[in-house]
Amino acid sequence: MARQTKRSWKAYAAWDYRKEIEDLNKASEQGWQLTKGGCFSSKFVKNPDVRYRYQMDFRKVSEMGRYIETFREQGWEYVSSTFNGWHFFRKLYDPALPEAAYEIFTDRESLREMHRRWARVALIIGAVVAAFALFCAVRMVRMPNLPTLVQLLVSAFEAVFLLWGGFLMRRSDVDQRRQSGIPSIAVFLAVVFLGSAGSLTLTGLRPHFVTVTAAESVTEAVQNESWADFQVRYPDWYYLNLDIEAAEPLTFSILDEAGDTVYQATETVLHRKDIPLRLARGEYALAISCTSGYRLRCGME
Amino acid sequence: MKKSEPLSESYYYILLCLAKGANHGYGIMQMAESLSNGEVVIGSGTMYGATGNMMKKGWIREIMSTETGLPRRRLYQLTDSGRAALDAEIARLRRMLQHAEGV
Repeated sequence: MARQTKRSWKAYAAWDYRKEIEDLNKASEQGWQLTKGGCFSSKFVKNPDVRYRYQMDFRKVSEMGRYIETFREQGWEYVSSTFNGWHFFRKLYDPALPEAAYEIFTDRESLREMHRRWARVALIIGAVVAAFALFCAVRMVRMPNLPTLVQLLVSAFEAVFLLWGGFLMRRSDVDQRRQSGIPSIAVFLAVVFLGSAGSLTLTGLRPHFVTVTAAESVTEAVQNESWADFQVRYPDWYYLNLDIEAAEPLTFSILDEAGDTVYQATETVLHRKDIPLRLARGEYALAISCTSGYRLRCGME
Repeated sequence: MKKSEPLSESYYYILLCLAKGANHGYGIMQMAESLSNGEVVIGSGTMYGATGNMMKKGWIREIMSTETGLPRRRLYQLTDSGRAALDAEIARLRRMLQHAEGV
């Protein structure tokens, strides 16, 4: 007989874990028995002949043997664990047993400890992400550009989500049954994945180049009128690094498609980093004119 | 002597159920339930956390059962410091009861 299985992509926020337990119990009633609980998806196998009640615990287990035995003694079958420390257990449903037989935390302290263990992890990660968001904010002030803005928004959203979640779990009490008002974990994951992908794509689309040119003699220098092109794929702030060393004043220019100058510097010696340029989408050309030998290095990140 | 924190209900009953001898988790759970006339139930999550913490504190230790003919099981045994913690808690509860009677 072929075993009928299915995978559910329902993800739950940690503070909605009771909702997850309820849904697992309902699925079991409908004949779908959990075989592997996960953070992002769960696996079920069809077996309409049994009915289980489920429970979830969050902890870093140092003695797995003792842990599973402690649960097995009271009729709990270990199902699986997630990578981040959630453990799933199930017990055969017996209508004769009181509801208390399906609880794994039977005092206020141990349930609160479980919530606090999760909150601790969320608050630590939240603090790290918040620090990264702050770093992005500082970078945004000094060198604004689109990829940094996306990173800032995504990390700020992540930090708020995690810190708020940790806060909710910390103060959640035994009788707390309400749904949190925060957008579901699916929205969180979508923002994180799309935001990270967007930021990476935007970074990848930026012109990255370092070009070096030099002329030993005057005749060579005159020929070097226009020597490199680059492409800007989306309008944004871009940052130019420029090093000039020349005997006579050298004029360095960036020209757009129409031939208009968007940046120009005339110097004999110049070492500058991160010169902000507001560039529109299009092709650009780098041009030099100099009446002496020179050395020039120009880059963009 | 340093004033000790009151024990939680689960810690108190686990220690109490070990006072007469070593027992396994399920035995502790059943004994707590019958001692308290069903008032105290110790679920598995609570039991694992409490026994783990009390082993760390050195109040109880883990031993293996040696009964012949039965599968070896994990038992918990009260240590001297565990007995002292239990006695201190019982004394504290007695005092509290006396205080109530004085009102």
